[in-house]
Amino acid sequence: MTTGLFLGKIATRSGYHAFEYSEYPSLIRGGHNIIEVRISDEKVFSQEKKVDVLVCLNEETYILHKEEVKENGMVVIDQEKIDMTKYRNLVKKFTYVNLPFNKIIKDNGLATVMINNIALGALTYLLGAEISILKSLISEQFARKGEEIINKNIKGVQLGYESVKKSNSDGYHIKIPKTKEVIPQMYISGNEIIGLGSVAAGCKFYAAYPMTPSSALLHYLASKGEKAGMVVKHAEDEISVINMALGASWAGVRSMVGTSGGGFALMVESVSLAGITETPIVVIMGQRPGPATGMPTWTEQGDLLFVLHAGHGEFPKILLAPGDIEEAFKLTIEAFNLADIYQTPVILLGDKYLQEGHQSIEYSRIKNYEFKIDRGKLLKREELDKIKDYKRYLITDDGISPRALPGMKGSLHQVNSYEHIEDGHTTEDAQQRSKQVDKRNRKTETFLKNHTRLPVLYGDKTAPLTIISWGSMKGPVLQAMKEWNGKFNLLHFTYIWPLPQKELTEMLKGLNKTLLIENNSTAQLGQLLKMVTGIELENNKLLKYSGRPIYPEEVLEKVKEMKI
Amino acid sequence: MNASTTSNPGFSGYFPTWCPGCGNFGIWAALKTAFSKLGYNPESFAIVYGIGCSGNMNDFLWVNSFHALHGRSLPNAIGIKIANRDLPVIVIAGDGDCYGEGGNHLIHAARGNHDITVIIHDNRVYGLTTGQVAPTAIKGFKAKSTPSGIIEVEINPVALSVSQGATFVAQGFSGDINHLVDLIVMAVEHRGFSLVNVFQPCVTFNHKTTYQWYRERIYKLSNDNHDPSDITKALNKSLELEGKIPLGVIYKNERPIYTDSLIQLKDQPLIEAKLDIDLSSFMAEFI
Repeated sequence: MTTGLFLGKIATRSGYHAFEYSEYPSLIRGGHNIIEVRISDEKVFSQEKKVDVLVCLNEETYILHKEEVKENGMVVIDQEKIDMTKYRNLVKKFTYVNLPFNKIIKDNGLATVMINNIALGALTYLLGAEISILKSLISEQFARKGEEIINKNIKGVQLGYESVKKSNSDGYHIKIPKTKEVIPQMYISGNEIIGLGSVAAGCKFYAAYPMTPSSALLHYLASKGEKAGMVVKHAEDEISVINMALGASWAGVRSMVGTSGGGFALMVESVSLAGITETPIVVIMGQRPGPATGMPTWTEQGDLLFVLHAGHGEFPKILLAPGDIEEAFKLTIEAFNLADIYQTPVILLGDKYLQEGHQSIEYSRIKNYEFKIDRGKLLKREELDKIKDYKRYLITDDGISPRALPGMKGSLHQVNSYEHIEDGHTTEDAQQRSKQVDKRNRKTETFLKNHTRLPVLYGDKTAPLTIISWGSMKGPVLQAMKEWNGKFNLLHFTYIWPLPQKELTEMLKGLNKTLLIENNSTAQLGQLLKMVTGIELENNKLLKYSGRPIYPEEVLEKVKEMKI
Repeated sequence: MNASTTSNPGFSGYFPTWCPGCGNFGIWAALKTAFSKLGYNPESFAIVYGIGCSGNMNDFLWVNSFHALHGRSLPNAIGIKIANRDLPVIVIAGDGDCYGEGGNHLIHAARGNHDITVIIHDNRVYGLTTGQVAPTAIKGFKAKSTPSGIIEVEINPVALSVSQGATFVAQGFSGDINHLVDLIVMAVEHRGFSLVNVFQPCVTFNHKTTYQWYRERIYKLSNDNHDPSDITKALNKSLELEGKIPLGVIYKNERPIYTDSLIQLKDQPLIEAKLDIDLSSFMAEFI
């Protein structure tokens, strides 16, 4: 995994954009692993089917991926170990570069794991990148492990570099020399930037139980907890996870949990608890293919309707689905504000594709992003002093009641999983019940008035076709658009729920032809939009549920098929 | 229900809806006395209630409180304590709630030595759902869900929590309020995970373990007959389930509480930590 990370960072430190997509099986070690890194002088939105350079660390890689290499592409492989003559009839116009990994390792007494560094060194030469960048990446990565380890790794790099320099001095025909002015960029995964967003938002309690694809968020925050002043708790199960977070939130700290579908299923009863107790909580829900254990290390957008309906009973809920890492950062921060403002669960729908992949982003876009921490109607000491008879569930016009924290003088209240009256005491009174339901429901109306954001239209407004999609499938569609601008635009949803019926209906009615693109088998956004607007969008759809993301090539093929 | 809520330090809420003669009354009285003895006022601490007849006490005490889901009061309490380490946190739940639905949480709360106090109303039956067996029901007990008698043996909450790392475990009886008050005060004052298992007759659905049944079996532990700091002796006492039943502090020991190990809480409780952080130092590693 570090190999892909280093390659991406070589690109960003040389002044290019990069995007990473990885595939690996649900095994601890071994199995077939691939990392695809796309590098460009323009922004890269997604992976693509065809690759320029295929580096094969073993023969299996060649067998499985040779068809993906572009014409005039390059294959780097250990021809001293692997007999390539048997593939002779398959050879297209590839350039084959012999990189004798095994011999290099043996001759220099290196550890087998150095194969990655040899490959990186070779790639650096072939792509015309500066080896000093790679060397500093290694020095930074292994800084804590000391000079000896750093030198061993650099030796591997150097050997790979020298080897291909000798055998293939021209390198690949496309190169990534360091540009004159390198704008600082971050190369960061979705999980890491969600973690960064939560730190920025002042999250002080994160609880989780490990589950792909959100485990890396737990790892990231656990490693930063002390520095960020955030308590990170790996609890005994997801039920405990969300209930600890709700306890911490009631006591007054911004709290978040992270999981995937199976873990979220266990949390669902407590999502409902957050709804009736009106306790803010942010849930990072990283989708992966289900049902049940499904395909743990692969990707899907199959949980939209599950999450939308999660929790028994009726209560307001906010669903957000970032389309890329920049949106993941901003929406994580916004999720905390919305949770505090509306005192209800806010769920961020990610997936393996977004959370585990790395993307480049200009440093300044994150550094200079301006935001406010808005804790909504959380009462300050002096505000609470002015209230004589504090009522936690005070009936208000906007549905939101002022929130005092336990332990504050004058805060006496209870939060109650039973239906309750304004001060929190249990009730089964018909009128009181209806009043509290109405109060909670009014929060949705207030949201629609104050925080609704309609889907964003990307591309040529006058294009004859509008692709409708949501969350992480933004990337593949935008990447496809680069190939074929003008033919279609993209209406992309990040605000999934609540949706404004009137404005949305008008917006959808104004569209020409539409094509629904989702990474699931039942067009869940299409179903939701039909539910809200009555408009049937499923006539044209591209759905993929093989555990793999949609590729830009598949978008283009579908558009072509539609004969626009 | 007659609303007579006050915010006086008497902790009184609505008048209880429990059945006349219910053991909950004794525990209720003991809790209010214990809170007064501890010098608490209704805003100076927090109670997390489970769901059940015992959890309904949320309306009969008027204290800052969180009425949780069935089985989940312990993780709520742990979260509250981590967020505000200065706030005393007490859990009031029943045997079905804490030993059945939420059994897993009990094990892990004990392991963590979270500084919370758990008061369990142990009546060996489900009252609020009208009389099914609880995990503490004595083997063979006949109830609506086990008409031929429960096949499982009863759970042993004292042995379980002692063996899983609880640092204060006591057993009380709702029919002996004064003794129970002392146990509750000691449990709350104990720094670490404390559990008081309170035997409580259910006069409506359990005609086996009645006041009389307990009175014939209970005896009190004292320095003369028990050393609570000795875990082996404590575990031996925990095995006295039906013949003679010990009341008092069964186990007590000291070890660091969970929040002691969190350097994030060294200077201030989590709720007072500053929210705005300079992100630059977090961003550098990604360049």
